[in-house]
Amino acid sequence: MSPPQQPSSTNPNSLKIRLTHRFLHNLNNLNKKRSNLDNTQIHRRSHRVKLAAYASMARVVGSRRAWSRAILWKIRNRKVFTRNKRVDHKTTHHHHLARSIKRRTTNHSNHKREYVDPNGNSGQEVKLRKLVPGVETMDACGLLDETADYIKCLATQVEVMRNLVDLYSTI
Amino acid sequence: MLHCHYTTMNIPGNTSGTDVSVLERQQARMKWRQQQQQGLSNDDHCFRGLVEIKPDPGLQYGWPDFSDACQDQLIPPLVADHNLKKRKTHEDHKQKAVSKENGVKDKKIKRCSEENSTETSPKEKPKAVETQKQEYIHVRARRGQATDSHSLAERVRREKISERMKYLQDLVPGCNKITGKAGMLDEIINYVQSLQKQVEFLSMKLATLQPRLDFDIDSLIMKEMFEVPAIGYSSEVANSTYFQVNSLLEMGNSPIDTMLRRSIGGPVSIPETFVVSSCFNQMQPGVTWDGDLHNLYRMEIQQESTTIPFQHKFTGSYEGSNLKMEL
Repeated sequence: MSPPQQPSSTNPNSLKIRLTHRFLHNLNNLNKKRSNLDNTQIHRRSHRVKLAAYASMARVVGSRRAWSRAILWKIRNRKVFTRNKRVDHKTTHHHHLARSIKRRTTNHSNHKREYVDPNGNSGQEVKLRKLVPGVETMDACGLLDETADYIKCLATQVEVMRNLVDLYSTI
Repeated sequence: MLHCHYTTMNIPGNTSGTDVSVLERQQARMKWRQQQQQGLSNDDHCFRGLVEIKPDPGLQYGWPDFSDACQDQLIPPLVADHNLKKRKTHEDHKQKAVSKENGVKDKKIKRCSEENSTETSPKEKPKAVETQKQEYIHVRARRGQATDSHSLAERVRREKISERMKYLQDLVPGCNKITGKAGMLDEIINYVQSLQKQVEFLSMKLATLQPRLDFDIDSLIMKEMFEVPAIGYSSEVANSTYFQVNSLLEMGNSPIDTMLRRSIGGPVSIPETFVVSSCFNQMQPGVTWDGDLHNLYRMEIQQESTTIPFQHKFTGSYEGSNLKMEL
């Protein structure tokens, strides 16, 4: 039998298994901790589930990657901060999400793409830096590296979550 | 302009007698031309016409005019480059300059001879100049650059970035046709945003489903996963949940995936086999999962309805597996 924490990180099979374990583990903890929450606070629950998803992603990858370190650091600081700050972050995150959704549907303006930063980054690279956590100060090469790893883990996490949703919806 | 300066700089001892140098170059060029382009008799005529024209505007100052005039033309010296390539490994400075002149002048010659009917664009001209520079790299470091170490490092950096972009092209679905860096970055940004949005959406779904279901199932599943699968036979409930999660993990969540696997002829996703042997040893290759994800991603983009398609598909595959279990 394979233990959950296998050293091979590039194999998507083991990555998926580890993500599943870790995510279920986190969800379990979440449910146990916040047992007082009921159905009416779906908003907050969904945010916690999302946090659990990102946390499990970052935990599985560990400290190898800049994005996982950034996520873990953010989550750790989030626990340190007060609840007000967490609410603020939630609202700002939703604003950011709404903006990004709007931008996706109306992305025919090229002026953002061709804009060049004073540092020499194009407008697209700036956007990418905002999307991937922890790559603010990296050069273009490292940025692409982190983006590739982030995409891989994110895709696996999405698949795990989708499987879980299907599992729960059909029981 | 650049190569003009270069020719004037790199030709030693020729700054004073430019008349002589020009004629020498022309003679050398004529020799090569006669060696290699024997079929083009017209060239010589045009050539001589050029020989006459050239000393008049001059010399150093004639070069800029010449280069500017060349830029107006639409013919890249690619064919000439092929001829010149063979000579390039054995050239010294002067000959390189001459060959470059050859390249430059061949454009004019072809224009007046009208023998090469190549369809080109003005954009290819700077590219041709660059390919000329690139061809020199196996002789020595590039010409036309300020310092060689910088340009080499820059080239290494650019190659690294292109290598990473290629890897990203494999990761992001549907990027095979896009070649530019900007287009690729757009696709990557869109993909990351869509993945994050999916995570948010799925977490909302999970949050709605959570209070209904007891998470003891999860602890059971986790226990079963840690233990030997043969023990899973002991309790029916655990077996069913174990089977469900296994079916989810193994079969994927769309009939497309199962059909793929049947067609591949690999281990068929029969639930019993998974229950018997360890689920971790019988993992399908990750490629099919990625393919599944890509299929779903494409579906989502096309249909723009995220939940309904794969739910339907999953229930179909789940019922199928149920039937198998009953058998």
